[in-house]
Amino acid sequence: MAGNFWQSSHHQQWILDKQDLVRDRQHDLNILTEEEYQKIFNFFASIIQVLGEQLKLRQQVIATATVYFKRFYARNSLKCIDPLLLSPTCVFLASKVEEFGVISNSRLITTCQTVIKNKFSYAYGQQEFPYRTNHILECEFYLLENLDCCLIVYQPYRPLLLFVQDIGPDEQLLTYAWRIVNDSLRTDVSLLFPPYQIAIGAMHIACVMLGKENLKPWLAELNVDMDKIQEIVRSIINLYEMWKSYDEKKEIQGLLGKMPKPKPAPQR
Amino acid sequence: MADNFQNNKTMAPVMMDYDFKIKTQNERSKVEDLFDFEGCKVGRGTYGHVYKARRKDGSDTKDYALKQIEGTGLSMSACREIALLRELKHSNVINLIRVFLSHTDRKVWLLFDYAEHDLWHIIKFHRAAKANKKSVMVPKGMVKSLLYQILDGIHYLHSNWVLHRDLKPANILVMGEGPERGRVKIADMGFARLFNAPLKPLADLDPVVVTFWYRAPELLLGARHYTKAIDIWAIGCIFAELLTSEPIFHCRQEDIKTSNPYHHDQLDRIFNVMGFPQEKDWEDIRKMPEHATLVKDFKRSNYQNCSLSKYMDRHKIKPDSKAFSLLQRLLLMDPNRRITSEQAMQDPYFTEDPLPTQDVFAGCPIPYPKREFLTDDDQEDKSESKARQNQQQQQNPNTQQNQVQANSHDHGANNAKRMRMPGPNQGQSNQGNGQQEFHQQQQMMFGAQQQGANSQQQANFQQRF
Ligand SMILES: Nc1ncnc2c1ncn2[C@@H]1O[C@H](COP(=O)(O)OP(=O)(O)O)[C@@H](O)[C@H]1O
Ligand SMILES: [Mg+2]
Repeated sequence: MAGNFWQSSHHQQWILDKQDLVRDRQHDLNILTEEEYQKIFNFFASIIQVLGEQLKLRQQVIATATVYFKRFYARNSLKCIDPLLLSPTCVFLASKVEEFGVISNSRLITTCQTVIKNKFSYAYGQQEFPYRTNHILECEFYLLENLDCCLIVYQPYRPLLLFVQDIGPDEQLLTYAWRIVNDSLRTDVSLLFPPYQIAIGAMHIACVMLGKENLKPWLAELNVDMDKIQEIVRSIINLYEMWKSYDEKKEIQGLLGKMPKPKPAPQR
Repeated sequence: MADNFQNNKTMAPVMMDYDFKIKTQNERSKVEDLFDFEGCKVGRGTYGHVYKARRKDGSDTKDYALKQIEGTGLSMSACREIALLRELKHSNVINLIRVFLSHTDRKVWLLFDYAEHDLWHIIKFHRAAKANKKSVMVPKGMVKSLLYQILDGIHYLHSNWVLHRDLKPANILVMGEGPERGRVKIADMGFARLFNAPLKPLADLDPVVVTFWYRAPELLLGARHYTKAIDIWAIGCIFAELLTSEPIFHCRQEDIKTSNPYHHDQLDRIFNVMGFPQEKDWEDIRKMPEHATLVKDFKRSNYQNCSLSKYMDRHKIKPDSKAFSLLQRLLLMDPNRRITSEQAMQDPYFTEDPLPTQDVFAGCPIPYPKREFLTDDDQEDKSESKARQNQQQQQNPNTQQNQVQANSHDHGANNAKRMRMPGPNQGQSNQGNGQQEFHQQQQMMFGAQQQGANSQQQANFQQRF
């Protein structure tokens, strides 16, 4: 659906208003600070990323899974569904939509188990991945409902390629901007801005990092809302600032402990 | 810290919040609470059962189609169908109104506008009439209007980077009486995929996709990637079938489920109609994966006297007609030379009288019967259709075998099973009543106004999805 972003459900339903987003998160933000909230999302975005890589999914698919994850919690508290269950569910659903071929249930669960054990023991200790296929399948229905069946997600990668092509081949710029787009998945920009703006924001940052002043005129010529681009740039730079003084390995257990959790059915 | 895990290593943590679960359960509406459709099965395809449905609350008296996807949970093809239909909006593409997820039995239901006709039934009706030497009264431009709207819908899909991949008469619906009377709706997007970013060679995913009769020669020769040109070939086949009432590349098929794309008999049939392709007509044929097999299996000299113009001439379509010249451009063997949907829509055929109309029936009475209800006796039907699939060849080489799979309900052997069942809409199958209904429906629709009805529906979709 490449040519059709403006008519897409992504544009019509899922470019959210910043105020609405803040309001819908109020429940969680009574318990967590905004920074803690972001750190928790960072962590689960990493889980999705590593799961996707282990399953040999393309970055596009991983990005879509991450956006599903963010969209679900944009409308729901973290306590509604355990994010450790929702993360692989998003990967599973995205891989079907992006037509990578169905990941077998057993392969998904096994991958979750090894990933949690080998890569995230700093968060979960000796605890094994606690869910099974039936949990993922049940969760998938809830996910699809909460996504309002909007499964096609536009990503900044394609516009990014087009823009860089337009400037003239620049491998270094592309590599940098591409990585910045990946990093942007750990911010809210994919919920707030159209992907082409995120691509431009990423190029902006890449240009500054690489000292490529010569791209300024090209960027200026684009007919885009520079305030929006600045907001995107700020979100991503804030993320980098946060990372400088953040040691996930030390802090994440505390954060996961503090995170609001699902409550079981009342005992009768 | 992280005591939620460490305290109970053996016990699964609570995956879902109880209040959240109850709240969503209460908000979720069940398909059987909102719609009446019991005993109203009208279609049974490879991927689902389709029912004719009415709203229980009577907020409108329109017919709807409810498709229950085969199997449980979200298969990949269900995902694709939902994902794509959720985004697509075109007057010649079936409109997905809503999705129901039934958590208890894990069934997925899709709600569509109801289309009373489809090209498979329409062509079948004409064939039967022909066999009985009866004529069917249809407007002169009907085939042209049908083709134009199919092209329009496919052009929309193609320009949105969506390939259909399973175009055949059963998947081309036509609206009956009502505000969209005589409008083509392309359906069954289960196979469709986006093709702007192939993740894997497509042939690796579903080895067998397009029904053989409508399958382009490059696919039969092992082409690894689906293209727009493959959809165009299928449209060419459908066009020919509309003109002659015969599937142009009809071929007996023993092993429908084979994963080998190469299919000797189907190629033989194509060459018997089209002639064997000349080197100069299809230069890249030498690059096809199965080219060596082709050279080994086929002799050009066997097809010396075959050509599309001779074939069509035998079916009373003159080689100098505009219809023929467009058909020839759609059915070019070389996929690179085959025309695009856009070029096809510019063809002089469409500017020659009679001009295509929005209502393919051009306001004339619709001669085709309404859909009949199928018995709901699933068990029996399933085993029966399987048995039929196994025996079909021996019994009747002329049966439209492929359709047995796609439309297992509607075949000779199954005639006895077909019956008319009173559904929530009384007197469906009676023409006279139909007329009356048509009247009522029209009044209704004019009351609501077409434009308004449309945007209302859209709102419905957005709100309730
Ligand atoms: N919207 C509709 N209105 C009326 N009949 C329909 C509709 N959609 C499908 N059908 C009928 O059901 C059959 C199967 O539906 P289809 O969507 O093609 O499913 P499958 O993937 O199983 O082939 C169609 O060939 C047609 O006869
Ligand atoms: Mg079908």
